[in-house]
Amino acid sequence: MAEARVNEYKLHFLVLILVALTEFIGTKKISIGIGVIALFPMLYALVLGGAISWPKFKFLSEKEMNVAANILGVSFLLFIAKLGANIGPELPKLLGSGASLIVQEMGHIVGTIALGLPFALWLGLKREAIGATYSLDREPNLAIIVDKFGANSAEARGALGVYICGTLFGAIYMSILASILGSSGLFHPISLAMGAAVGSGSMMAAATGSLAVIFPEAEKDILFYSGAANLMMSIVGTYVCIFFSLPVTQKLYAWLEPIIGRKSASSTAEGGRKSA
Amino acid sequence: MNQILTIFIIGFIALIGNWIGYKVPIMESLPGILLLAVITLIGMGFTRILPFKSPVIVWISLFAMLATSPFFPGNEYTAAAIAKINLLALATPILAYAGLSLGKDVHLFKQLSWRIVVVSLVVFTGTFLFATLFAEIVFKIQGDF
Repeated sequence: MAEARVNEYKLHFLVLILVALTEFIGTKKISIGIGVIALFPMLYALVLGGAISWPKFKFLSEKEMNVAANILGVSFLLFIAKLGANIGPELPKLLGSGASLIVQEMGHIVGTIALGLPFALWLGLKREAIGATYSLDREPNLAIIVDKFGANSAEARGALGVYICGTLFGAIYMSILASILGSSGLFHPISLAMGAAVGSGSMMAAATGSLAVIFPEAEKDILFYSGAANLMMSIVGTYVCIFFSLPVTQKLYAWLEPIIGRKSASSTAEGGRKSA
Repeated sequence: MNQILTIFIIGFIALIGNWIGYKVPIMESLPGILLLAVITLIGMGFTRILPFKSPVIVWISLFAMLATSPFFPGNEYTAAAIAKINLLALATPILAYAGLSLGKDVHLFKQLSWRIVVVSLVVFTGTFLFATLFAEIVFKIQGDF
């Protein structure tokens, strides 16, 4: 216990240094033709932190990294409190946007399955595809899959795969995606703010942050609507996954797999060609 | 106890970030950070004493909403104090901790096939894009913008 405490202070100290350094550098905008990508302190902090924890450097032990992941969960709570505090003063406004809040929640579910499942099958994934595409696969979703199929199932392997990818580069990817969609001019900042509440703390923080940089004049609205969408997601999300998105994904899998799934393992010749 | 201390340490780090990155003097952001910490702790405590399991973020969101809503005493002061804390100043520590925990997943990542990596990106794109699209459509139908 005493040892774990020492480790914790080392982590806090590292984070303090990272925050001070990256906030000092500040936000930079890079134009990439299709849009503006906003690079901001939280992304530098993520990348630098990742470099520090890179296993080869042996600077942090596996145990310390696990403690860092636990603190990450706690630090997210202050962020949530801030989002909630942005909704309070304009509570009546929330009731006015009830319909779009419910519908965007449907969009989150439909989006992972409708885009993810056919793609996964086309790439040759089998039952892994169910776990991988029924949700964004954060902690509660992993628990649901393991509970239903067991930790060693193909479904759990797929879910764990998406979970790991989300941890490793979900935040970076989301901030780039938010930058591109934001500067495309196709969507209103408020719609994007709702879309940013994907159900993962770090991904949401990164996406919301990007939007706030691209639309500084709409920052208040962005906070308001992403906070509301996130609240919606956290209240109903788990139940929707258990009673709706998982059964639907299984049904769709049974229907689509014979149509677009790879026939057998030997048909991976095409896959080999592709990776060449 | 340990978690309470952790909340305050993170609050302190955010305070420094808010000062360096957004030029808000430390004494000016102090009340806001303390209020956020107190709301967070009340939410955590409340989740613990409830007889059933429920996500802690639901209660923290609701309490934060309540404390800043027009029907709560002192709401104007609370909302103004918290408004001094930049959202990004709170997000930077989150991603710094996330970064420091990344290393543990690197060896797991090496066991994944490239297919699951591509599928992950498609899944992330799907959830963001479709939720945005659906929200946009409803707002357009309602004529909000």
